[in-house]
Amino acid sequence: MANPVPSACCVVLAVVVVVYAQRHSQQDSHIQYERVGADVTMKCGSMDWDAAVTWTANGTDIDDSHLNGSYLILKKVDLTQSGQYSCYEGSSWHLKYQTYLRVGVPPKEPVLMCRSNNYPKGFYCSWHLPSPTYIPNSFNISVIHGTREMVCEKDIFPKNRCHIRYLQLFSTVKYKVTLTVTNALGKNSTTLTFDEFAIVKPDPPESVVAKPVPNNPRRLEVSWQNPSSWPDPESFPLKFFLRYRPLILDQWQHVELSDGTSHTITDAYAGKEYIIQVAAKDNDIGTWSDWSVAVHATPWTEEPKQLTTEVQITGETLTQHKHPALRGPGYG
Amino acid sequence: MDFRAGDSWGIFAFLCAALCNLPTVPALNGTEELGAGQSIQKTYDLTRYLEHQLRTLAGTYLNYLGPPFNEPDFNPPRLARAERVPSATVDLDLWRGLTDNARLAANYRAYSRLLKYLRGLDGQVGTVELRHRLGHFCSSLQGLVLSIAGVMSSLGYPLPPPDPRPSGTPAAPNDFLKKMDDFWLLKELQTWLWRSAKDFNRLKKKVPPAVVTLRIEARGL
Repeated sequence: MANPVPSACCVVLAVVVVVYAQRHSQQDSHIQYERVGADVTMKCGSMDWDAAVTWTANGTDIDDSHLNGSYLILKKVDLTQSGQYSCYEGSSWHLKYQTYLRVGVPPKEPVLMCRSNNYPKGFYCSWHLPSPTYIPNSFNISVIHGTREMVCEKDIFPKNRCHIRYLQLFSTVKYKVTLTVTNALGKNSTTLTFDEFAIVKPDPPESVVAKPVPNNPRRLEVSWQNPSSWPDPESFPLKFFLRYRPLILDQWQHVELSDGTSHTITDAYAGKEYIIQVAAKDNDIGTWSDWSVAVHATPWTEEPKQLTTEVQITGETLTQHKHPALRGPGYG
Repeated sequence: MDFRAGDSWGIFAFLCAALCNLPTVPALNGTEELGAGQSIQKTYDLTRYLEHQLRTLAGTYLNYLGPPFNEPDFNPPRLARAERVPSATVDLDLWRGLTDNARLAANYRAYSRLLKYLRGLDGQVGTVELRHRLGHFCSSLQGLVLSIAGVMSSLGYPLPPPDPRPSGTPAAPNDFLKKMDDFWLLKELQTWLWRSAKDFNRLKKKVPPAVVTLRIEARGL
């Protein structure tokens, strides 16, 4: 049988170490959250009011005028006063208390948006705060459909986004999404209520390509693809909206296309560079997507022919010079 | 050896004969095939037209019912009572897996019943304008029911039997619940019209080859 005395000593030693560490760490890990404009009073741990202490802010000594006995008074704090505050016993310079002050504001009403870009699979919601709070916030989202509470799975990226899969399609009951944002100084929330059909908005079309058509100075051939996030274009077809204009004009021309992923523009101005964009929408429900990335194209123009000019040199015979035309103004 | 070779030649000859006959088969029934496809397109167009009409009708009717029914965020719980109206809501995989027959039959049954209830509304509503709109909508909705019936018969599907339940519904115990019934009727109608657009989209893509196969099978080739 092992000797119990050395093991008992180990246990006692371990307990002493833990208690000592805890007492010391209590001084280090303290965080304090305060509102902008508030008056803050910090006590130097367990020291008496009339003890002689020195306070520092981020290592810099604080003037005695801010002290009331051993308490530190900060009036109407602002964001610049966030930092580490430490309190040292007067003569021994022992660290008696330490806290990290974070000055911030309670959250304003958050901005919430929900959208189905992958109908009929489901939808996602994303949110943000209209202005910063300067302190950590936590978000909680709840989705209620009739009597059922659904789980919105948080996305890893981007943050502040979650997604839900539809269990049923063609629902008559609205979805109610509530987002609550909480921090150490307060909380706020916002709610969205919507029908399944109202939030359908595809992503813009992809791989938009515009090409000139050989021997056709007024045509441009445009083609694109369904957005890759749209899962089932066969059963849920998309329709498209094309807009185009020459760079030199402000007015767009529009074409709506109920099927197909290509279109030929036949009224382009010859020789002018065009800017072209496409948007998508479910054939029957929801709203138009954002415009696709813009593509540029210029209709086909004829190769400039070789020009011949006659140059008369005084007193001598006519000479013919051939100039390749339209090289540029600097051509001599 | 010889037997097998002869057999394959026989099959080959048979296939040739069948293939030669194929062009004539669709041609003979060409109008019917085109008929089904065109009917489906017409039915699809009708659902879109009705959905558009319903927006105006529902707006007027809900205003007539008054608050809270005409508030955009009004989101009441579904009472058991409201289940008398056929629901468009369906599990996604189930909806995808519906046969053409089942898909059409569901639409036919739904609109037949919705039409009955809408007609029941007719005599009770307040303004002349509202009665006029309702009447017009009911006529269009009847057109939709007939159109669906046309598609079903051109594809050889039997029409679902008429609903044995009485057309009159148990009277609502009070005025508020009566209005709730009306609210859900309009909601369900709106949802069905959204769903039908998707149903007929699927049918548009699937039907023509099925028609050709049906005809060949019928001829025992």
